[in-house]
Amino acid sequence: MQIAEPLQRAIDELNKLPTIGRKTALRLALYILKSKEENVTTLTNALLALKTDLRFCNTCHNISIDEECEICKSTRRDKSVLCVVEEPSDVIAIEKSNEFNGVYHVLGGVLSPLSGKGTDDLNIDSLVKRVEHSDIRELILALNPDTEGETTALYLARLFKNSNLNISRIARGLPVGGDLEFADQATIGRAFIGRIKVE
Amino acid sequence: MVLKSIKLSNFRLHKDTKLEFSDNLNYIAGGNGQGKTTILEAIYYLCTSRSLSGSPDSEVTSFGCEFFEVGGTFSDLASNDVRIYYDSNAGKKSMFLDDKQFYRASGIIGRFPVVTLVQEDHAITMGSPGDRRKFVDSVISQASSAYLKILIEYNKTLRQRSFLLSQIKENNSPKLFNQLSAWNATLVKNGSELIRHRLAFIERFNEYLSNSYSRVMESKEIPAIHYSFHDETDKDKIEETFYDKLSELKDDELRRAVNLVGPHRDEFYFMINDRELRKYGSQGQHKTFQIALRFGEFFFLKDALGKSALFLLDDVFGELDTFRAGRISEYLKEVGQAFITMTDFSKSELLKRTGEDLLMNVSGGNVSYA
Repeated sequence: MQIAEPLQRAIDELNKLPTIGRKTALRLALYILKSKEENVTTLTNALLALKTDLRFCNTCHNISIDEECEICKSTRRDKSVLCVVEEPSDVIAIEKSNEFNGVYHVLGGVLSPLSGKGTDDLNIDSLVKRVEHSDIRELILALNPDTEGETTALYLARLFKNSNLNISRIARGLPVGGDLEFADQATIGRAFIGRIKVE
Repeated sequence: MVLKSIKLSNFRLHKDTKLEFSDNLNYIAGGNGQGKTTILEAIYYLCTSRSLSGSPDSEVTSFGCEFFEVGGTFSDLASNDVRIYYDSNAGKKSMFLDDKQFYRASGIIGRFPVVTLVQEDHAITMGSPGDRRKFVDSVISQASSAYLKILIEYNKTLRQRSFLLSQIKENNSPKLFNQLSAWNATLVKNGSELIRHRLAFIERFNEYLSNSYSRVMESKEIPAIHYSFHDETDKDKIEETFYDKLSELKDDELRRAVNLVGPHRDEFYFMINDRELRKYGSQGQHKTFQIALRFGEFFFLKDALGKSALFLLDDVFGELDTFRAGRISEYLKEVGQAFITMTDFSKSELLKRTGEDLLMNVSGGNVSYA
């Protein structure tokens, strides 16, 4: 059966989104078709606003409304401690923990030759400038503990080796409130390597 | 752990076969193409959700049938039912553990460990270095999921790094070289972890191997596995040696855009009395070595996992003289439960069978107890 052209176009566009397959795209398109027009307008406006009202912070590349994001603008944050993360979603996760009061630097990915990500594709040059021009004492590398994240952390650690920065990477180990017996072997192994002295 | 019973429907030659197994040895006899090995394949399906020979599910379905089903009951401290159903029209496989559906092979892999001795094993001693690495990696992975995880990360590093090497080959920029040195660090880190695991494994496994070898073959021959990394370096200097080799082969790697250093290139040498089996071994020594490797694997896993694997032996007696066949059947008694196919029924008299062992005849997909 030939699908009406506007419907097919909507399906094709929805299908481009991550985790949306053909069937889900069809279901979403039909749902939108049946929705009230005002609801659809609200949805399209919300989507458009992502592009018109948001931008990336000039300093840290986090999602921002103004040229500088709320975290970079804040006077209560410790500007001498810089936490390097992969994506804006990582900033959200760390902010929710309320454990970190420094500022961030979003790389926009990790080194991965296979996905075409090299040093020029990440926000590394701006990180170097930030370190040179502002008063940063400590660099915390909060990248994912997979091959690409590890390699990027190693790359950055080497890049700043000759500076006076205190460089660390976040610890890996057992989840809080978790049971040792339910943790997988690799995590337990790493937790032993990264054990901490009890004071 | 033992397999109590199995039920096959439309599984290759077996239209409808129900079997109760002995907790000890289960001998499955019959001519070529009668469906003996198929029973082993079905058992392997229950343990791993995959075919023993690597055949796709569609080929396992009896010709002209719309589905196949394999079900079985394992008994350890508790009893577990596993059922695998394949719908050939939809091309869909459904898997159930105790009537609860699971969707990935990882839902059962490792739960019901299995060791196989099959004809293709000749590649382990006679084939390429890759075949030997595959054997060692699979045994360690079964005993340690941590090893498997590092192995997966390491293989990812290899793919990333070789792609980067080919980028450098095209475009010789210093920025790419800086990235390469970071990938080198990851390669050395993950690779060294693999090497440490392998060294520790070989040291332990050699005891199991020589024990098994002497049980199969009454001789003073001493088998051993040597790991190429071991001969050149001591354990504290693995990273150092790794980096040295990397800088030694740097130009080669850049020219060919291939990862030339690391555990994926290391060789395991199988030795008998300090002579390399692959170069100097007789056919009989190869066969004995293959058998000893699998028996060694069985007892190693038994100690490492704290439970017995199912042991599947496909036509192991075919190429052996009566003396060794007798010794193997004697040795099998220490295994616990095992499943052994054989073509030559006359040899069954040589086997040291006890009352608890079971002998089955398979003919045209029908099984009768002897």
